[in-house]
Amino acid sequence: MLETRNLSKSFGPIHVTRDVSIRLERGERRVILGPNGAGKTTLFNLLAGVLQADSGQVLLAGKDITALPVARRARRGISRSYQKNTLFDGLSVRENLGLAAAVQAGQARRLFHDSLSHPKVRETVEEVAHLARLEQVLDARVNEVSYGIRRQLEVGVALATRPQVLLMDEPTSGVGPEMAAGFHDLLSGLPRDLTLLIIEHDMDLAFEVADKITVLNYGEVVFEGLPEAARGSDLLKEIYLGSWENA
Amino acid sequence: MFRHTTFRYLVLAILGAGALFQAFSAGYFGLEVLIEILILAILVLALDMVAGFGGMVSLCHGALMGLGAYAYAMLSSIVGLPPLAALVGAMAIVGALAWIIGAICARSHGIYFIMATLAFGQMAYSYIFQTPIFGGDDGMGGITRPDLSAIGIDLNDSRSFALFCLAGLVLAYLAAVAVLRSGLGRSLCGIHHSEERMRALGLTVWRVKADIFGLSGLITGFAGALAAMHVMYISPGLLDWTVSGEALVVVILGGLGTLVGPLVGAVAFVILKHELSAVTPYWHLVVGVVLIVVVLSRANGIFGWLEARIGARRIFPTHAAVKKVPNDA
Ligand SMILES: Nc1ncnc2c1ncn2[C@@H]1O[C@H](COP(=O)(O)OP(=O)(O)OP(=O)(O)O)[C@@H](O)[C@H]1O
Ligand SMILES: [Mg+2]
Repeated sequence: MLETRNLSKSFGPIHVTRDVSIRLERGERRVILGPNGAGKTTLFNLLAGVLQADSGQVLLAGKDITALPVARRARRGISRSYQKNTLFDGLSVRENLGLAAAVQAGQARRLFHDSLSHPKVRETVEEVAHLARLEQVLDARVNEVSYGIRRQLEVGVALATRPQVLLMDEPTSGVGPEMAAGFHDLLSGLPRDLTLLIIEHDMDLAFEVADKITVLNYGEVVFEGLPEAARGSDLLKEIYLGSWENA
Repeated sequence: MFRHTTFRYLVLAILGAGALFQAFSAGYFGLEVLIEILILAILVLALDMVAGFGGMVSLCHGALMGLGAYAYAMLSSIVGLPPLAALVGAMAIVGALAWIIGAICARSHGIYFIMATLAFGQMAYSYIFQTPIFGGDDGMGGITRPDLSAIGIDLNDSRSFALFCLAGLVLAYLAAVAVLRSGLGRSLCGIHHSEERMRALGLTVWRVKADIFGLSGLITGFAGALAAMHVMYISPGLLDWTVSGEALVVVILGGLGTLVGPLVGAVAFVILKHELSAVTPYWHLVVGVVLIVVVLSRANGIFGWLEARIGARRIFPTHAAVKKVPNDA
């Protein structure tokens, strides 16, 4: 579904992404692990089109999308949630989801018609609210809900574009352990044909949801394999010692 | 996203009542002041759509309004269209030009956006100034007002013309509200908040910006045509960039991104100007001081300040809808 071929990117002398080739099957849940500064977010930026790779290709459903700008890639089905919330503050949860759903439903430039009341948009909003467990807070303003809910909404907004591939950058960053467990349920509730690429620091969550694990270190793929294999890997223990002990 | 609140309705009602009272009771000079306020109000409404709601601070709206005036004069006097058709034509021309300017400037931000719009405004100014058919420095005279005698209205009468402009302002306001509350307006609000996020959701950001700029231009063209009808004589000075600057001052003075605020700003600005210029030639200094106080007070203009004080009281429960609380990092 999503594939990179020898993707590389450097900022000046620093190689942040080195020759990264990964391949995700449709519906696969892949977790990316790696220490701080390993280039995980940069990889997402390359996949989403925010950054242009120095070399290498990005393919979506077999088609080369390396040259496509961000919005066109998004319309082809790549969506992402961010490490730091990117929510629309003054708006309600419903309106946040609606903004994303309207783009997908072709209502984002409608004149004299509120996109939020369009049946397709409403349907998406309801559906995503269910998936992201936001039904109870739909009409609350973003700045009135808890941080954990905002993290869920961050994922919800990304889901509301009805993507084929969802890139989630540390969805549980900053939330407590019980919320992190809640995210597990959220993730397993997502449609099975949705391809997920998740950057995750929470090891338990990572091993539970992942079909496969990819480990980045200094911009390089240093491990790729099944979660069980990852658990036993000495290489990983070395790279990841700090967080490994905590997991 | 624009929202009406009880407080906003209240301010609108006060403004409307004041305008009606003035329209029916004022003498010639009072009516002239009223008409000046009404036309400025339409302009700043249009400017608030782009600057306040879209973060697109335009320094070409004065020039766009001037183009609207010239387009109206051209279409009615030279082409010979009936005034109402010329009015619609002028709006369409300015709307289309504004759409193009919006599309071209959409990729720039902040100071660069301001400079790009300024450049377009200056281009319009010199085009009008240099083209013989527009009368150069001498401008154009003999501009007629629409003939509404069929429905018993004589627009050459100041009172009727003031009411005509008031009706125009009401229509412009309703149009602006409708645009801002539509899908397009929602997307604009999203863009204002984070262009990058909207792009990542698949939105073609420049199209939204261009559309809003074009619609704002339509309303600006309307204001320009009314200005031409009002003074019946136009000159290139209408397109001077200081007109854009003044409009921006009025929007900020009133309250960016509130629609109602710029209306309050227009009233305050014109009245201040007339009262002060009667007593001192330095009235611009006073306006400057008022603007500095408003900006430094960190309130969102006069209306924003009032809204934060009075509007937040319990008697206006819906006000929570416009209060902004910072989000997490
Ligand atoms: N736009 C940029 N310009 C220059 N350097 C950058 C840029 N973006 C990222 N970097 C650098 O690239 C490296 C990788 O950053 P990246 O954000 O991809 O790491 P990460 O794996 O997501 O880390 P974290 O776990 O802390 O989120 C860092 O050293 C960072 O400073
Ligand atoms: Mg990161």
